[in-house]
Amino acid sequence: MIIEKVFNKWILLFLFTIPVFGFVFEEPYYITLTTKVVILGIAGIGLNLALGYCGLISFGHAAFFGLGGYVTGILSFHALNSELMFSWPFVSSGSSDMLVIWPIVILSSAFLALIIGLLSLRTTGVYFIMITLAFAQMLYFFAISWPNYGGEDGLSIYMRNSLPIINTMDPLTFYFICLFWLLVVIFISAKLINSSFGMAFQAIKQNEERVKSVGIETFKVKLLVFVISGTITGLAGSLYTDLNRFISPSVLNWQMSGEIMIFVILGGIARLYGPIVGAAFFIVIEQTLGGYTENWQFWLGLILILEILYVRTGILSLFEKKFKYEK
Amino acid sequence: MKNKILNIKNLSKSYGAFKVTDEITIDLHFDEIHALIGPNGAGKSTLIKQIVGSVKHDIGSIILDQEDITDLTDVERAKIGISRTFQVSSIIPQFSAIDNIVLSLLDKSSKTFQLFKSIKNNKDLYSNAKKILKEIELSEKSDISASDLSHGDRRKLEVGLALAMDPKVFLFDEPMAGLDESGTKMMINLFKKIKTNSPILLIEHDMDAVFALADRVSVINYGKIVATGTVDEIRKNELVRDVYLGYEI
Repeated sequence: MIIEKVFNKWILLFLFTIPVFGFVFEEPYYITLTTKVVILGIAGIGLNLALGYCGLISFGHAAFFGLGGYVTGILSFHALNSELMFSWPFVSSGSSDMLVIWPIVILSSAFLALIIGLLSLRTTGVYFIMITLAFAQMLYFFAISWPNYGGEDGLSIYMRNSLPIINTMDPLTFYFICLFWLLVVIFISAKLINSSFGMAFQAIKQNEERVKSVGIETFKVKLLVFVISGTITGLAGSLYTDLNRFISPSVLNWQMSGEIMIFVILGGIARLYGPIVGAAFFIVIEQTLGGYTENWQFWLGLILILEILYVRTGILSLFEKKFKYEK
Repeated sequence: MKNKILNIKNLSKSYGAFKVTDEITIDLHFDEIHALIGPNGAGKSTLIKQIVGSVKHDIGSIILDQEDITDLTDVERAKIGISRTFQVSSIIPQFSAIDNIVLSLLDKSSKTFQLFKSIKNNKDLYSNAKKILKEIELSEKSDISASDLSHGDRRKLEVGLALAMDPKVFLFDEPMAGLDESGTKMMINLFKKIKTNSPILLIEHDMDAVFALADRVSVINYGKIVATGTVDEIRKNELVRDVYLGYEI
């Protein structure tokens, strides 16, 4: 039987080769689709750290995805239109340089996750779900009513943000930029999961009272996991804006939080590569069933129900061997 | 006061009109095992929860090693040296036995927030964990998932988790429940050995074990301490015989 680790290598092989085929056969559409899989996979890996490994069922990760997207969009909008963004404490007209945008996205997503985490992690269970949802919805309604950046219509950026030397407008190049980030996020997540910190947050998911009783400050551990998780998802939002050259409040809506959660559940909760498989499966369903019916979500829901009933631990569980804590 | 490591004064907890613990005053000396016995529902486990801080007290104070810990959180109390086992086994089910012990060693070794170094490569932690597994006679089951251990082995593992913390005091809540004869014997020998480093407040229904181990015994009934004394004094106490021991011991 194929073990999960081997399957993970196959996933990486597919991620490297499919867009190259798209390039060779002059089908940029497939490059764009795979780019979307990679970006949504990053968002899912972010959520999976909190939800899958630490048991924090966040229904508000759209807040981070949307924030990353809006920060990218706003910085780029000002830079491309040569419009002043703010003049205090220093003068800024935004930036269209990814090397400037990414650190700002990372810092702002981490800060938002810190604020949301500090307040929401005082609760557990359904209350935690509702508070995280409420935060994301607050941002959604704020974005809708913010006319400076398009309000409900969203914000278009006419050119993808740039990198020195590299042509980011080329679909294949942009794909490999996203793939680079995916590999970085997988690497960081794998390191975290197998560290002593990872041991602590995985233990919290299973028995928080016991973890407290051995002197571990579970609130701090959960907060740090939540911040890392939100930061990764924020980065995905930034890449998503660059992919579409457009950002709208819909990425802040609860449906986006639900979709990121679906990637995690479909692929396999607490499986490192699960969200990538989940995102790929989601997009394939969207593209294939979406061609036949407008109500493709109905069939997706049906698939999700069947999966939860019969393959509860996700598609990757079919490939058995667990990634974590093996000698 | 000088020879008391843990000093509990007038600790009370009520749920509505029901007093679970009623002005309990009890102490624990250095080098001793102090057993707390009493009928089911008498308030023994609630007292343990109050001492560890997972149940807030209404009134009273708790002094550990001359430091007032009454207002500390449960995690802070664990950090400064209160280690416990649970009445119902509480372990990390998907971790192996050795990983459970390593988890318990993390805080003491300040490794909890080590983000990127693989824990499996930390030889110190794992060799310390192995020593503890040897002490509780679980060496051969070190790589078995805790959820697959027998009930008795889980009880041993819980004691191992407490040992790993190297605390100032142990609070053991029915550690011998479900153990076979050899397991109980092993626990008795182990407790005798460890009490010289960290005294033990022991809740136990196995009276043979209590009488073999305890330096002092307190009896709790309806949330009140009704008697405290040596094993012989408690055995002869009429009130204790009436409320708990009966007349066959």
